[in-house]
Amino acid sequence: MTGTYRHLPLAKVEPGMVLSDELLDKHGQVLLPAGAQLTERMLERLHDHGIESLAVVDDTPPDPAQTAAEREAHLARIGVLFRRHDPANGEDSAANTLRKLVTEFRVGKEAA
Amino acid sequence: MSEQLSYDDVVKNLDDLPSLPAVVMELLNSVDQEEIDIAVLAKKVSHDQALTAKTLRLANSSLFGLQVKVTTIQQAITFLGFQSTRNLITAAAVTGCFADKLCPGFDHGQFWRHSIATAACAKVLARHVRFNQDYAFTAGLLHDIGRLVLVSTFPELYAEVIAYQKENDCYTLEAERAVLGIDHVEAGLALAEHWNFSDTMRLAIAGHHEPGTPGAGFLAAIVHVADAVVHALDLVQKPDDLVPSVSPIAWKALNLGEDTFLHLFRETELQYEEIAMVLMA
Repeated sequence: MTGTYRHLPLAKVEPGMVLSDELLDKHGQVLLPAGAQLTERMLERLHDHGIESLAVVDDTPPDPAQTAAEREAHLARIGVLFRRHDPANGEDSAANTLRKLVTEFRVGKEAA
Repeated sequence: MSEQLSYDDVVKNLDDLPSLPAVVMELLNSVDQEEIDIAVLAKKVSHDQALTAKTLRLANSSLFGLQVKVTTIQQAITFLGFQSTRNLITAAAVTGCFADKLCPGFDHGQFWRHSIATAACAKVLARHVRFNQDYAFTAGLLHDIGRLVLVSTFPELYAEVIAYQKENDCYTLEAERAVLGIDHVEAGLALAEHWNFSDTMRLAIAGHHEPGTPGAGFLAAIVHVADAVVHALDLVQKPDDLVPSVSPIAWKALNLGEDTFLHLFRETELQYEEIAMVLMA
């Protein structure tokens, strides 16, 4: 569910990259389906169709240091948003369930 | 500290508020009439080009997943039904209705982004609990409308509310009660009365902070939880935002599982971005 695609200008897209979303022209017609592996010939034709940028699947492995930093940032932000709620307060069960779910949504289950 | 306001002070000033386009007032007032002449209605709305354009863009957003692009109000009614179209027209009209007033510290964009996010989330929630999605969307969009009433009628006093809230790091509701002696729930009710909102909508606005009160209604519970989810997801990214209190009664009433909530978060984020682009344009 985290960002696994990159938006690139057409000039930076290389043959072999995989399209992450359906590609439409300005009339809403489908040019290429999601998951299509782009070839040099396709890229030339996209240029003719007036496509300027597109979303490709990002398969570069995430940088662990960056991932950890993002995780910390998410947890810290959730702490700020929920600062009026005490996790130890049993009366506040609904807010604490919501906090648990949002934490799981942002950083995955193990931290929740 | 300034003098405290009463409900009557708010009501007295309602006439100075910007009015909705006549056709939208007509729609709101005819909420219980099923037999409204659709052809006449479509024609009236079409006279307002900006309103028509906004309504059609909403109708064509992925919110409804239509297979065809609708290009006229009449077509929207054919494909989405009268109720949905009516709600879209209202949404498109209301978001353009309150102009920026001079109230230092009040961010109109932020206000509407929160309202739109709550509307999107309430609609998704309603689908999961099999409640009327159009009601949920509109109630979500209008739940805090009382804040706009207060900001528009008492801009200087409301600036004090914002200052108080910043200083004490408290909920807006608490700041309003402390500074004004009246809160946005009461002001919202006054407007709902003035604009002839349906009873369902009135109850939802009245109960969105206290959905556990007997008689608050299920829609109040939906809007209450949607409001909390939107704050928790940080969709508006207001730096000092606070997750409001969440009523365990409302939470239980919805009776949704963990997986459903995770789906709901994702769906809300996606729909929020799309609707915000249309309504905030």
